[in-house]
Amino acid sequence: MTGLNETTTKRLTCFSLLFFSLLSLAAAQPTLRVSAQDNDGYTRVIVTFPSSLPFALEKDGTLLLVRVNSRSTFRLKTDPVKSRLIKAFSWAKSNDLYIIIIEARHERFRYDPFKVEKKHQLAIDFYELAAPPAAKEPAAEVRQAPPATEEKKELPPPVQALTPAEGIRTIVIDPGHGGLEYGAKGKFGTLEKDITLAIGLRLKALIEKNLAFHVELTRDRDMDVSLENRAAMANNHRAELFISIHANSSYRSHANGSETFFLSLNASDEEARRLAYLENNSADLDKPLASENQDDIRMILWDMAQSAYLKQSQRLAEIIQDELNSLLGTKDRGIKQAPFKVLTGVACPAVLVESAFISNPQEERDLARGAFQENVAQAIYRGLVRYIKLLS
Amino acid sequence: MKKRKISPSQWTLLGLSLIVVLVLAAVLFKGGGGEKIKPALETSPAESPSEAAPAREAKKVQLFFLSEDDSSLHSEQREILAGPSVVEEAERTVKELIRGSDKGYISPLPPETRLRQLFVTKEGVAYVDFSREIMEKHPSGSSAELATVYSIVNTLAYNFKPIKKVFILVEGSEKETLGGHINLSLPFVPLYSLNAR
Repeated sequence: MTGLNETTTKRLTCFSLLFFSLLSLAAAQPTLRVSAQDNDGYTRVIVTFPSSLPFALEKDGTLLLVRVNSRSTFRLKTDPVKSRLIKAFSWAKSNDLYIIIIEARHERFRYDPFKVEKKHQLAIDFYELAAPPAAKEPAAEVRQAPPATEEKKELPPPVQALTPAEGIRTIVIDPGHGGLEYGAKGKFGTLEKDITLAIGLRLKALIEKNLAFHVELTRDRDMDVSLENRAAMANNHRAELFISIHANSSYRSHANGSETFFLSLNASDEEARRLAYLENNSADLDKPLASENQDDIRMILWDMAQSAYLKQSQRLAEIIQDELNSLLGTKDRGIKQAPFKVLTGVACPAVLVESAFISNPQEERDLARGAFQENVAQAIYRGLVRYIKLLS
Repeated sequence: MKKRKISPSQWTLLGLSLIVVLVLAAVLFKGGGGEKIKPALETSPAESPSEAAPAREAKKVQLFFLSEDDSSLHSEQREILAGPSVVEEAERTVKELIRGSDKGYISPLPPETRLRQLFVTKEGVAYVDFSREIMEKHPSGSSAELATVYSIVNTLAYNFKPIKKVFILVEGSEKETLGGHINLSLPFVPLYSLNAR
């Protein structure tokens, strides 16, 4: 069996090599390149710009964001990451802003950026910080860092800065798809990504007008955001609730109606038992752990963070579905469980709302109407209000 | 000293010819088994049940398709060539699934999709590798992705005991989703609640 696994790996490598070489051939556009290399005591990430471009750096948990302003389009080329500290590179873009996301394996690092003007390069040296002992202020660790040469601003202390300071509570709304990834497409050409954004913006307005909650959108315009980053955004903002908004599509042209999903673990009976144990003991996760392995445990759980919140997620789904039924006049498809990628890593109650079927011409017309979008937002909003009341 | 040594390449040639002779003999005497050399990587016309020689052993499998009437998966019986191993039978079954229904059900796999490879691990995970069309021609959407995934997963797990889980690969590599919804980075267990009763 290993032989077969090796074959797959080899194919994978060949395929990605071919893919990347094709990409570089096609790169008539200017290229922005990012690479990482481990050195003795630090990891150097080099961002090579096609020309001298303004940028700003921001640390956000395990992420370091490099915002680059440019009106021209360019390609992003990342070398494969093999580093003990840097986990991955990804990027997002909007009209004139590119965000390069450098993901570290944990949030205990400081960075030291400097420019290599001649080559249009930005070098960022990453230094791993020791895990702070519980007694010590984590900020003190950061202050030991020598001042960054380029950036004058204070380095944000890792997690603490993201914790709501004076009881500010956050809901993360995730308008599905975006950018090149437009989701499903209706017969009249309506795109799922446009509908989800329109509903998301309306929902944000409703919540901020009426509730003492801060709303964070995973995207507020037409841009690509990876599924992992959407979940990471919820966790980094310490969101209390996560709502992903979608429009459904089926091979069946008559398929219609609204439904609300929560995550299914897609696990065998034995695995389900193990995860159920985690779920039943998830209260322990909030208590400070006596051992020093807290980060290890967090790391293990990260992949399936949502498994600890399934019961709450189910309740939230039930309530939202109930409101959709009374406000939309669409067929009630009920609540369902499915292994949605975007929900797996979210560490709070999380649901995915399928407002109606964009593949059904009648419902496509509905979805494109402002009044219908407002009703979907209103239904989700009412569901949230009911759920929050239930908790308090 | 002049005695000719047989080089490794000649040994290989010899071995190969021996295999060819053996296989030919098997075909002549048993009247089948061409698939033994090339396990169903290309669809051979002889594999469709209508043309299968009556002497060959057939196996009945249940394929799970979508129906226009409701959102559950409906079974349709199909005969495939039996043996020699689960892998070959599973490959034929997936190809039938792509070929589509004879009863007017909807196949939730884009018809352009090809099965590239299939293997089953000791632990009972079937790795099913499809060509890029399964993503590129896919309409996206939660319901559509669920239908595609579970028509494959339920069909394989229902018909083949050794298959407990199914991992879907595209062009030989792991993909996040087909169209932005259902997570492909973990193997699937069957979800028979989606099947019609």
